[in-house]
Amino acid sequence: MTGRPVTVGIIEDHPVVVDGVTTWINADPLQRAVVVGSGADVDEVLAGPAGAADVLLLDLHLGETVVVDRVAELCTAGRRVVVYSAMDDPDTILAVLEAGASAFLSKHEAGGHCVDTIVAVATDRPYVTPSVAGALLSEAPHLSAQERTALLLWFQSMSKASVARRMGLSEATVRQYIDRARVKYAKLGRPAPTKTALLARAIEDGLIRADEIREYRSHAAE
Amino acid sequence: MTAEPSVVVAERYARGATVAAVVIAGFWHLGYDSVVTVVNWGVYTRQWAAAAGWVLYLLVGVAGAVLLLCGGSRRWVWPLGVAALAVDVLLVLAAPAQVILPANWAWGAVGWVAVIVFWRHRAAHLVAFLALDTALLVASMVAVGVGSSQHISRAIMVLLGAFTLQLGYSVSAHGLRTAAGWAARDSAARTEATARQAAAEAVAEDRAQRYRELHRATATLLAELAAGADPADPAIRRRAAAGAARLRRLMAETDDVPDPLLHELRAGADVAERRGVQVSLSVVGTVPRLPVDLRRALTEAPIVGLSAARSVARVTVVASQDEVAVAVVADAPPVRLTQPRGVELTHDRDGDQLWLETRWTDA
Repeated sequence: MTGRPVTVGIIEDHPVVVDGVTTWINADPLQRAVVVGSGADVDEVLAGPAGAADVLLLDLHLGETVVVDRVAELCTAGRRVVVYSAMDDPDTILAVLEAGASAFLSKHEAGGHCVDTIVAVATDRPYVTPSVAGALLSEAPHLSAQERTALLLWFQSMSKASVARRMGLSEATVRQYIDRARVKYAKLGRPAPTKTALLARAIEDGLIRADEIREYRSHAAE
Repeated sequence: MTAEPSVVVAERYARGATVAAVVIAGFWHLGYDSVVTVVNWGVYTRQWAAAAGWVLYLLVGVAGAVLLLCGGSRRWVWPLGVAALAVDVLLVLAAPAQVILPANWAWGAVGWVAVIVFWRHRAAHLVAFLALDTALLVASMVAVGVGSSQHISRAIMVLLGAFTLQLGYSVSAHGLRTAAGWAARDSAARTEATARQAAAEAVAEDRAQRYRELHRATATLLAELAAGADPADPAIRRRAAAGAARLRRLMAETDDVPDPLLHELRAGADVAERRGVQVSLSVVGTVPRLPVDLRRALTEAPIVGLSAARSVARVTVVASQDEVAVAVVADAPPVRLTQPRGVELTHDRDGDQLWLETRWTDA
């Protein structure tokens, strides 16, 4: 994957949003991603050039329907899905993460996080947007106090540098706390290839130890 | 079940009076009739009739008492009344010659069971019964042929003596019950008036309090503007925006909504949005019920932050049962914040970004 930009398919029923997202992606100074296809229908987009895209950007609200069930279907098929929605309440966010979505972008935060999210997701690395931080705060059961504080300050959303300064930690450590919280959540609930890939990458990167995963599995099995 | 206090009180009185009526009839029968029956046993020509009269009186009394105390059917009232009159007849049969002598105890005594039997009916029924009792006595006297002035005066004495007591007791007991109802109703009305007055005073005090707060929120600024402060000055504009947001919050505080803190924050956000600021409000968790002064302390600094925002502001609330954190991130110039009471305030800057957080923790 190094060397070539990440390919992105956009599933969105409002052309103006497709244009907006494409503009953000093209505006990235490093040109890390490229849009290869877009449309208002999941199956049509997958049948086109975006069928082989590294990452799918999916609007949760297509026309009149909310497509949470399609998220599960796409992720089970091994696709990396970034859900993009104006509905950013914790329940919705946790539902799509539970279904296997790699990341969630709330519409109000999309501009600042869109490309970073896509690039992280393409390499199966966690990317926690502030809205996801809020959702994890409400749910993830195995958080340490530091992880919880980092999530809370990140949810309030300033730069990670600011969170680090307030916590008296380095920015890298703050990022680690936040990403660990996300990875811990991936261990819960129904398995999906995207979750397994996220966990595998987290172990590889030293973010979490393999025995920590077993520990949490046994918790869930109780 | 909640009954009117007047009803409850009246029922208690009624219960006491009915129990007393039963006790009087019981004592009368056992203490007077029985003694007379035993003393005059030899006088009775038909002793079985005397015994039957005594037993019948007892049965009517018990039946009447049970019906009255247990709230039974009213259909049995007159059959029991007739049975009571049968006691008269039995006692006349027992000793015809003694019709108006002490051996015939029935004339005055039956009135006491009648008091019980007719308790739940209008006084006219009891009067009618006593009239029938009198008619029976007169008829018996005529049939037996006793008519001396001595006998007549004795009959009048027996009847009047008994009837005044019986009617007097029945009527005054019922009157007492009515009076108790009046007293209870008066008392309830007085309580209600007092409560209404207290509520009116509380509402008036609340209004006065809100007026003082309104005054505090805006008076200084309005006075400065009147004295020539420049409305174009950004600082004055920010203070005006904050004042407007506080007024909105003050109004929002009286709304009856399930989530007052969020409602008041939305009111503040609304004022900022009208200035063209893009505001997002995200909430995690359920906000516990907090008193208005704590809610004010939690929202005061966020309102100042929102009022200072130039174009974008993000408001977040993270709540659990024992902690609530309200934060604002906005592109705002440095603002002056006063330390609120009861909540912790922290703030920070990052470039042109202002971050501030108020946090309440259940100690």
